[in-house]
Amino acid sequence: MEITVKVKRCNPQGNADCKPSWQSYDIKAEVGMSVLEVLLDVIAGVDPSLVCRRSCRSAICGSCAMKINGRPLLACDTQIIEEYEKAGRIELEPLDNHRVIKDLAVFQEPPWDEFDKIIPYLNEKDKDVAMTAEDEHAIDASQKCIMCGSCNSVCNALEMEKNYLGPAALAKAWRFVGDVREGKKEKRLDRLSQEHGIWDCVRCVHCTEYCPKDVAPLSAIERLRDKAMAYGIDDNHGAKHSTAMVDSIRRVGRLDEAAMTFKTLGLLRSIGMIPFGMKMEMHGKMPHPVVLPAIDGIDEVRKIMDKREEEKKKEELD
Amino acid sequence: MVFHDVLIIGGGLAGLRAAIEASKNGLNVAVISKVYPVRSHSVAAQGGINAALKSNDNWEDHAYDTVKGSDYLGDQDAIEIMCKEAPEDIRELERMGAVFSRDADGDIAQRPFGGAGFPRTCYLADRTGHGLLHLMFEQIRKYEVTVYPEWFVTDLIVEDNIARGAIALEMLTGRFHRLHAGALIMATGGYGRVFGITTNALTNTGDGMGLALRAGAPLMDMEFVQFHPTTLKRTGILITEAARGEGGYLLNSKGERFMKSYAPNAMELASRDVVSRAEQTEINEGRDINGCVYLDLRHLGREKILERLPQIRDISISFAGVDPIEEPIPIRPGMHYSMGGIMTDKDGKTPVEGLFAAGESACVSVHGANRLGGNSLLETIVFGRRAGQSVTEYCSGSKVAAFPKSALQDATRKAAMIFERDAGVKSSELLERVNSAMMECCGVFRTEEKMKEGLDRVRAVREDLPKVTLTDKGNVFNMELAGVYELEHIVDLAESILLGAIHRKESRGSHTRLEYPKRDDKDWMKHTLIYKDGPEMRIDHKDVTVTRFEPKERKY
Repeated sequence: MEITVKVKRCNPQGNADCKPSWQSYDIKAEVGMSVLEVLLDVIAGVDPSLVCRRSCRSAICGSCAMKINGRPLLACDTQIIEEYEKAGRIELEPLDNHRVIKDLAVFQEPPWDEFDKIIPYLNEKDKDVAMTAEDEHAIDASQKCIMCGSCNSVCNALEMEKNYLGPAALAKAWRFVGDVREGKKEKRLDRLSQEHGIWDCVRCVHCTEYCPKDVAPLSAIERLRDKAMAYGIDDNHGAKHSTAMVDSIRRVGRLDEAAMTFKTLGLLRSIGMIPFGMKMEMHGKMPHPVVLPAIDGIDEVRKIMDKREEEKKKEELD
Repeated sequence: MVFHDVLIIGGGLAGLRAAIEASKNGLNVAVISKVYPVRSHSVAAQGGINAALKSNDNWEDHAYDTVKGSDYLGDQDAIEIMCKEAPEDIRELERMGAVFSRDADGDIAQRPFGGAGFPRTCYLADRTGHGLLHLMFEQIRKYEVTVYPEWFVTDLIVEDNIARGAIALEMLTGRFHRLHAGALIMATGGYGRVFGITTNALTNTGDGMGLALRAGAPLMDMEFVQFHPTTLKRTGILITEAARGEGGYLLNSKGERFMKSYAPNAMELASRDVVSRAEQTEINEGRDINGCVYLDLRHLGREKILERLPQIRDISISFAGVDPIEEPIPIRPGMHYSMGGIMTDKDGKTPVEGLFAAGESACVSVHGANRLGGNSLLETIVFGRRAGQSVTEYCSGSKVAAFPKSALQDATRKAAMIFERDAGVKSSELLERVNSAMMECCGVFRTEEKMKEGLDRVRAVREDLPKVTLTDKGNVFNMELAGVYELEHIVDLAESILLGAIHRKESRGSHTRLEYPKRDDKDWMKHTLIYKDGPEMRIDHKDVTVTRFEPKERKY
């Protein structure tokens, strides 16, 4: 099958501002060929100057993540004909949220710099703790990570805040916090709860949606948040917001934005939010800040919440 | 110019394990790798790592299985060390944070593997190498080892037979750097890319073996190339031996479990050389399915496949279009592992002072003529650690040798020459010529005639090396330039494999010659050494160390 592959190329040669341009290659694809195989054919036969990182070809080394038709995918793990038939085109670009080195190769500050910030090794407990199959399952997903950068490339929070640790590093953090053998969980959670840590995530679910290895970073982040609050590490906006949300639901069965703002930010900073609140009010996005009646059937809501809290108490701290 | 007590070339399991040990001992250690360390091909090891952990198993049995698997060419003193130290190394990995799959009693689970008389392969599902490599990467952060990621070593600096450091190309900038070091450890893995179809990563070009050979160290037993029995046809992508360890069948076109004619007791779990020869025979005699035989997992059931072999299922679906829960997987033998490598002693020392080696790039030899599954990860950990230890002793006992002034200039001059050439051939064309020569002339079954033809073809490529030109004339991330250096190693290694294979007039382990179908202990119970200390390569020999297992006929 003949396919035109378009590659977004950029060759900065050390200059920061490089204007990318699209280059097309007409290639012949056989059934079973991956996007990476096609790229290798182009590099060997047509254009050896085209750059993409690659190594294992079997979706485990994490080298060849790139944007294929707008989504981050491993080039070695994407069948080209299937993808072409689905999308009607093959367009390859470097990952978003990363600076480009050349063509499809990007700088790797994320995830490596962030990786160092989460203390990326086990702190053994004083005495040996044996792991059970159950203990292994608790961290199994997060240790499937191949550090390909796909999750970071689609992370909305990272796009807005470059200092955010990002989903890859946080999935790795859960690999240690969730490990029965880890001796410094509380210290880790304390650090992770600081600015640009677990509470920066906006839960857009992109990381989990686009992860090629089912690491589910978002669920790792949620577990870290749960654990941090269970340890009583709640003196931060994220944890306060979370608590305020639960209170609001228990009280009126829905979100009471005004009260939540007050509980999250405190009196002084809430006053600063008043103009924003008024704008929301004008667009009908703000419930009445003083009188907010409970919904019908609030008792049912409270029953559900009681039940959940009972369950939670049973999930002990380790 | 930077200085490190130890410069480790290669960031896979052996290199990182050596780095941890040397760093623990207080040395200033750096790892230099042409990829980010977690991209190293150790990451792709699927099946597991062997150790006699259970009370009803013992290291002597592990050693016996290994010696027998090696077709008696492995050095038994080294094998004893590896098998004896294995259990403690596994426990140490666990203390570092390794996660292994567990059995019903909560112990580390162990699965049966080919050529082993006891289920002693520890694993993490079917991504053991991934788990261990990421663990090692965590640990080098803990021990604050310096890493030079995506730096390509172009030259080892050895003068008067003493290692002094290396010259490396920083891919990001295209600059060449001097790295002065008290000692060097080569841990660059295998050379799979000498062959056209291989399970190995695109980066496995055997650079370390090539560099060491040029620096005066001998390569040992290069004729022994392992063909893995279960690889996908077009791409050579690996299906782990664990698929057979968990009970998978091999079937020919008639639906027969043909291993009953070749290894009636061990069946699919005979050692890899035996199974690959059996498959190739079935294929050559026409009982194939489009050049393949089948690996059938269906009877294992959905649940077991999903729990124990999830990656294998994904790989089969993605790369062969087959769901092993529903259909058998077409597979064939494929180039997988290099038993040969840089000759070292039990502590990773080579005959060049201050030059050490460990892992697949080294040849201790614990694998002899054929490696058992689950022993390669073990080798990287045991001998990586030992190299880290012995490099410490070396550094405390010897003065640092000076770094020659001209080295950097020589390296940049060579690169400039490559850049300046205008008309010529693309390195990819030359690579293709070596690859096809090796595929056609040096496979599972070998003949004098074909191997000599192969040697001629490889030498013809060598003649063309000075004509290689570049399309990419830029400095930043010039992978084409790195490819030229890789090609030079590939040519050297192809020639040394062929020379060794033509020279060895017997069949042993993975080396099967149609003219000499029998093992010949009288004349060939010895290692082959290849030197390149003059214009031509030369061959020498070394005795095999036998301690407790006298050679006898292998039956599975």
